[in-house]
Amino acid sequence: MAASTTVRTILLSPRGGLSAIVLAIVIICALFAPLIAPYAYDIQSLRNANLDPSWKNWMGTDEFGRDLLSRIIYGARTSLSVAITAISISVAAGMTLGAMAAYFGGTFDRIVTAAVDLTWSFPEILIALILIAIMGPGLNSTMIAISIAYLAQFTRLTRAQIMALKNETYIEATRNLGAGHTHIIFRHLLPNALTPVIVAGMLATGDAIILEATLGFFGLGAQPPTPSWGAMMSSGTAQIFIAPWIIIFPGLAIAITVIAINLFGDAVIEALDIRNRLRDS
Amino acid sequence: MLNFLLKRLVLLIPVFLVVSIIIFMIIHLVPGDPIDSIVQIGSTPEQKAELTAKYGLDKPLVIQYVIWFGKMMTGDLGEAIILRQPVSSLIAQNLPHSLILGTLALVFSTIVGIATGAIAAICKDSWIDRTVMGLILLGSTVPSFWLGLLMILLFAVQLGWFPVSGARSWSALVLPVLTIGLGGVALVARVTRVAMMDISRRDFVMMLHAKGVPAWRINLQHILRHAMLPVVTILSLRIGWILGGAVTIEYVFARPGLGSLLITSLNQRDYPVVQGCLLMLAIAVMLGTLLGDVVQAAMDPRVRERTS
Amino acid sequence: MRITAKALLLTSSTFLSATLLSGALLAQDATFVMPARDVGAPSYNPIKGTRLNAATTLIYDRMVIQDADQSFHGQLASSWETTADGMSWTFKLRPNVKFHDGEPFNAETIVWWVPKFKGTENAFMTDAIDKVEVIDPLTVKFVMKNPDPNMLFNMASSFMGVPSPKSFDALGDKFGVTGAVGSGPFKLESFVVGQQTVLVRNDGYNSASKLSVNQGPAKLKKITLREIAEDSTAFLELKTGGVDMLLSVPTDFLPRLSAEKGTKVVTLPGTEVYYMPMNTSVAPFDDIKVREATAFAINQKEILASLFGGVGAEANTFLISGLAEAKVDPKLMISYDPARSKKVLDEAGWVMGSDGVRAKGGTKLQVKLWTQNGTEFKRITEVVQAQLKAVGIGADITIFDAATITAQYRKKTEHQLAVRVYSWANADILDWFFAGKRAGHPNHAMWVNPVSDALNETAMKGSRTWDERVVNFRAYHENLLSQFVFAPIYQPVQNFAYSEARISMPATVRGTRLQSQTVVDIEKK
Repeated sequence: MAASTTVRTILLSPRGGLSAIVLAIVIICALFAPLIAPYAYDIQSLRNANLDPSWKNWMGTDEFGRDLLSRIIYGARTSLSVAITAISISVAAGMTLGAMAAYFGGTFDRIVTAAVDLTWSFPEILIALILIAIMGPGLNSTMIAISIAYLAQFTRLTRAQIMALKNETYIEATRNLGAGHTHIIFRHLLPNALTPVIVAGMLATGDAIILEATLGFFGLGAQPPTPSWGAMMSSGTAQIFIAPWIIIFPGLAIAITVIAINLFGDAVIEALDIRNRLRDS
Repeated sequence: MLNFLLKRLVLLIPVFLVVSIIIFMIIHLVPGDPIDSIVQIGSTPEQKAELTAKYGLDKPLVIQYVIWFGKMMTGDLGEAIILRQPVSSLIAQNLPHSLILGTLALVFSTIVGIATGAIAAICKDSWIDRTVMGLILLGSTVPSFWLGLLMILLFAVQLGWFPVSGARSWSALVLPVLTIGLGGVALVARVTRVAMMDISRRDFVMMLHAKGVPAWRINLQHILRHAMLPVVTILSLRIGWILGGAVTIEYVFARPGLGSLLITSLNQRDYPVVQGCLLMLAIAVMLGTLLGDVVQAAMDPRVRERTS
Repeated sequence: MRITAKALLLTSSTFLSATLLSGALLAQDATFVMPARDVGAPSYNPIKGTRLNAATTLIYDRMVIQDADQSFHGQLASSWETTADGMSWTFKLRPNVKFHDGEPFNAETIVWWVPKFKGTENAFMTDAIDKVEVIDPLTVKFVMKNPDPNMLFNMASSFMGVPSPKSFDALGDKFGVTGAVGSGPFKLESFVVGQQTVLVRNDGYNSASKLSVNQGPAKLKKITLREIAEDSTAFLELKTGGVDMLLSVPTDFLPRLSAEKGTKVVTLPGTEVYYMPMNTSVAPFDDIKVREATAFAINQKEILASLFGGVGAEANTFLISGLAEAKVDPKLMISYDPARSKKVLDEAGWVMGSDGVRAKGGTKLQVKLWTQNGTEFKRITEVVQAQLKAVGIGADITIFDAATITAQYRKKTEHQLAVRVYSWANADILDWFFAGKRAGHPNHAMWVNPVSDALNETAMKGSRTWDERVVNFRAYHENLLSQFVFAPIYQPVQNFAYSEARISMPATVRGTRLQSQTVVDIEKK
């Protein structure tokens, strides 16, 4: 199936199309936040703290009198950039590790597999909390922590893909022709294993957004006044009665984004017909 | 079978050694130390040094590890520096709360997940399938702490049905179990649905249909039973989550538990407690993985042959 | 496998039903929530403990206790006197006092008790006492190494709760964890750190101070003190009737709580001060002009009004305003003056840039602003950030956990500004935070200055009487204010809240905190 046909299939399916529109809106918000947001995200107006939603502030204001809608729009930047960067790092590292483990086999493979099995079963939130404690708070350490927390998943998946491909005739043929390990791994094995891993990575981006929000809820991640959906909800808990929307709206933003990512991912899986390959890991 | 089990257990020994080293060392990578939290306003640097020595923190790390490992082998996890109690008794106080919360949440998500997954699979591609799977997806895509806060607002504050927080009665368990359980339903339901759909395409199912066995009987007796294998595998790998993954929910509902003990001690740098909690989690994870393998082997003889 | 799983379920279910039963409410049983800052306090050992929670004074009596007006009143001591040179103190003890284990309290108890502090983290409180002499079974004399005008203040601290010598020695390291025996109005029944403490009434209590209306045993029979870290959760528990009283309420909950029917909020003078030390050893804060500008950029009034709804007070010095040492020359008080900030920065050559941040010779006035986890820290710091920006100082916030921030301070050159809080009701806190020998942590301002250190030395060691000490500490305090080594921000009050429907509270709350002198008067409705 040609790439353009696949894209068309995805976009024309009801959930693929709808979720693509939602995702496009979120991404546009993140990219063009300064143009879209009605107010600046960091200008305080303490007299106007905790205002109800109104025509002036569609989602009300937070405890510093900042416009909540503007902060949610800017927050899309933080959430998406952290999640996407973290998962990209994780996918790249996981693919390399998984491919090497599968290709070389032996002791190296056993060590990688054992490590992966162990960390895969460890709650991501605990891994991330410990790593951030080590690296110190901030956006960079949050990204690294999230990427390590998901590393096991992609290593495992890639390894399973490559194992299936490794003994196919054309790979053996290439090897017999004298191709080097690097050549075989990067030119032949990885490209073939790429699709399921990329799709899994896309689905994991949704989880990463939630993990970032949870870390933000614990007061880690983006530092103020930079808005992050999780941190906004964290400071909202103190205002839960005066201004419940401070926790409700960012939560909705996360839910909508993550649902869209999941539905879009499902549509892609369906269109490419790779459900079995994803599950085999 | 016994042979298989023994083999797997032996394989775990080197893994355990490496894990114990990582667990011991990782907390020392975190900046800060526990002594800062216990020195008083007005005390001198000498008094601090004395305390550091008292807890053996002035020795080289390798020596500290050997001492710790030796004691651990005799079942002694050491004494908490900040909490001033044996680590084992702290764990004994917190573990039951984690176990009961995790187990109930697991039971909830397994039952609801299998039921909904089965319904969705049987009514494949109908509006029922879509609605059920859509609702479940919603439950798994919201941050759990957010779901927890909303539940408190609705069921505890507005309706007053359940306590807001704590772990002092059965009713205090309802909201946290629901919050965690709802998150897990999606996973179980998805696995069940896909597995059932796969199996229903297998030859033996076709044959049963041809033989005239009623559809409900095929679905429940044959397909669902076979679909349990992947479900059990997934669940056994989630043991780490049962014990430590509830930390966010424990925080929201002010519940004790292994996760919150770990996080509190991590923040205070209470080294022995952090090491003890991580060790418990690691052991649980290893046993969970092992359990998963055993169950798989018991249900599917081919697995046993391949590994042994 | 099956058997273990079954056994496990069985143990956890018996465990739960046990906790279920203990949660049942009976008449004169009350449930309080501990102050959030007390959560995780590990023991009730007043001699060796470094963190004691709000229940400690219910278990132990002290020699003297302090009222809200900073005056001292006898509890285990019925009267006391000191000599003019400050070299001896004589205490008359209250007769017929018994510990919960039946042991008598008398002069021998004090002889045993004072030396126990040696080698503990609390040793400094009794350092000046050379020895304790028995005059008669109910009179003791402290012979001093050097005068300690702070004696009564120290004696009134929670760490000076007197434990039963017999139980203390018998329990050893476990004292305060598995058992705690004093002579106070309540006995410790059970204690699970981080979760709850259960206290039952001491029916033989007879050592109430004159600050209590009720001179006999407490009216409540049983108090369960729960530890809840999250303030909003505690608030919800009070609102839904899960608990009867919150021993601390963050100020931002006050408007909401006051609006709540049947809930009463009581406010006591606070012992805390929020402040912002400036690292005087690194640029740009090695320049007193920049420090002056930073100090006067903080709008204490706005923070008080907007973040705390006017509850509490502005901080204009380092000390809580109830202390005599805080009554400094008004010219030295630090209070919002943006014009002065801008003028000083202009004079020092910092020119406003187009992005609203000043610069001098290519260097931007962009500084690090640190704080710790916690809602109030975060809120104050975000406002401070905006206020600094208003005079042209850019600040980047980093929020650390408590242990990491301490490790960072110790590096001495990493930090610049930090929003912090301390809780202490005595002027010697100046020594702790600004003595040159403690540069780094806890002297976060890295203030090492011969003049200041000499003034500190005089105040700490050269004072014989309370009045002399006040004069000396005031001089040291004024010196620090004139050097702008910190910016004062806010003085909170202590708030607690209870359900009027379920609890009846005495007309006045006596003491610096909600402690035993008030709790013995509390009744369940």
